[in-house]
Amino acid sequence: MNKIETSVDSLKKDIGAFYKPDLHHFMVMNAVDLGDKIELQWFFCNYAFPSAVTTFYTLISPDTEVPDISDIVPSAWVAQAELADLMNINIENTKKGFVLEPDFESGPLRKKK
Amino acid sequence: MKLAVYRKKSPWILHYNAGGCNGCDIEILACLGPKYDIERFGMINSGNPKQSDILLVTGPVTKRSRERLVEVYAQMPEPKVVVSCGACACTGGVFRGMYNCEGGIDQYIPVDVYVCGCGSRPEQIIDGVIKALDILERKTLELEVSVRLKKVPVEENGQVNRREVAAKIIHTQHTYE
Amino acid sequence: MGKQYEIPLGAQHISLLEPLHFKFTTENEKIISTDANVYYVHRGIEEACCTKFKFRQVSFVVGRVCGLCSISHSTAYSQVAEKLVNIEAPLRAKYLRMLVIELDRIHSHLLCLSHVAENAGFEALFMKTMQYREFSMEMLEAVCGNRIQYDFSIVGGVARDLKAEVAGMILQRLKTFLPQLDELVDIFQNNWTLSLKNKGAGAITREAAMRLNVVGPFARAAGLAIDVRNETEDLLPWKEVGFEMVTDTTGDVYARNMVRLRELYISIRIIRNIIASLPESALVTETKAFPDGEAVVRLEAPRGELFYYAKGNKTQMLERLKIKAPTFSNVAAMVEAFTGNEYGSAPAIIASYDPCLSCTSR
Ligand code: SF4
Repeated sequence: MNKIETSVDSLKKDIGAFYKPDLHHFMVMNAVDLGDKIELQWFFCNYAFPSAVTTFYTLISPDTEVPDISDIVPSAWVAQAELADLMNINIENTKKGFVLEPDFESGPLRKKK
Repeated sequence: MKLAVYRKKSPWILHYNAGGCNGCDIEILACLGPKYDIERFGMINSGNPKQSDILLVTGPVTKRSRERLVEVYAQMPEPKVVVSCGACACTGGVFRGMYNCEGGIDQYIPVDVYVCGCGSRPEQIIDGVIKALDILERKTLELEVSVRLKKVPVEENGQVNRREVAAKIIHTQHTYE
Repeated sequence: MGKQYEIPLGAQHISLLEPLHFKFTTENEKIISTDANVYYVHRGIEEACCTKFKFRQVSFVVGRVCGLCSISHSTAYSQVAEKLVNIEAPLRAKYLRMLVIELDRIHSHLLCLSHVAENAGFEALFMKTMQYREFSMEMLEAVCGNRIQYDFSIVGGVARDLKAEVAGMILQRLKTFLPQLDELVDIFQNNWTLSLKNKGAGAITREAAMRLNVVGPFARAAGLAIDVRNETEDLLPWKEVGFEMVTDTTGDVYARNMVRLRELYISIRIIRNIIASLPESALVTETKAFPDGEAVVRLEAPRGELFYYAKGNKTQMLERLKIKAPTFSNVAAMVEAFTGNEYGSAPAIIASYDPCLSCTSR
């Protein structure tokens, strides 16, 4: 796994420079709660043999607004909507309530204090 | 009209997945297939709750499917029987205690037959459905008996025990038969 | 411009195995836009895997993510856990995993095909396909001990050995299955009514598949050559056992059916090769280590690429487990491919996507 660090501001530039639709496909967006910070990860994989997984990652604080990459990768909205609900983070252009019912405590995957 | 006879001969099944893993659902589908073939009991899978007699439910109830489950149950006409298929429909199974699950469908609707196993085998499902047929017949008979209600004297002090009251009513019913 | 109507399909519908809700906006029978709600069966398995179950138990829990491809899930998890504790499964275990994955692929593809036939209104073909499918269920029961939910892969290897009688039985049953498969191919290819219903329905182009990152038979039917079995060698030696990629060009329901049917021939070949060349070794690699670090694993499930990410913290519990199921990648394309089709063919199109919502929402 090939890890590339990025930041919230330069994320769209980095992914836009990296992502070629005929070479790579976007797999999923993930987040890991590290206590006070959240690590966000975007996984890409190429079509060739042997394939390699490339990860963009960045550390954010829970209330940061994360940019929406669905203008670069059109299918990313599903992963973003899921993550916004499960991790309770703010993602641009993404409404909450796609996964969880409104009567439920938000962010079940966050660490319980 | 021999409606009761016909109804006993061919009960229609409604299948609803309330959040299971598909395992029990494909076994229900296998029951409809040629090898196990529950059509020989006159059962067919109908997609319409208004025409069904037996509700086959799989899966622990997830938060988003609970209203649909109760809705589907409420739309079925009396008499109706509920069969819960699989460990997770009976008790929650491996999903018990997960944050988006309720433990088992009997928390929302009354269940008549519990079929165990993760996933339950087609033979078990057939057994459960045959059992449901007997219950369906009994429920049909019960519907035909007219119920006379008697006023129950209110006890002076202490609460009314609803279970005893219900038992008394059922007892009176049986004496009328 | 005609009047527009909104027609809902689901959450409970006879053509759906699982709760899934589509809202179609139609104009004169033509679907012009679609809205999907796929999270009816979200249970919270990822959280439970990190808080309630120890890492050796998790391989049984993730099998319950999906009953159709439970072996893919438990194998992918076992592999990612093996990476975290730094062991490698023995060669025989790898071969047995491949054997069960391919048997599982046969049952899953045939289920999907029978479902397409049923939703297109061809009840007799549904019955026929279900009848032929039973052989794979019986073989899976003989190999693993259960018809579904095999609990076959464990961390470090596999839980059961393949007995020689069972191997002989599989070979024998494959011999009777092969002409049945030919018959199915003939019906799906040449039946006039079925191909009228299937050809051109729910089509997606190669460019759209690429843009929307489609995986699995859905992508291969559109000509996008993506198959994890073709792309990795280190975890499971697919090419040693005779894997070959199957693609088609048109990307409609008919092409998806054909891709699935032709993949079954490859699966049969793989199973025969595995049984012929099963290496002798132990079944499980033992270790006392605890998971540490992070790892990713990709595996080809019947519906496409399955992806696992795990992070350990040197305790019995994992820190994070992320499951990306094949249908999850296809949701965006599923919504798009309806556009321009008639509402009447929607159930058959849904079945031909072969959606697995319990994988998607976990
Ligand atoms: S009982 Fe087991 S096999 Fe059946 S739906 Fe539940 S988890 Fe799946």
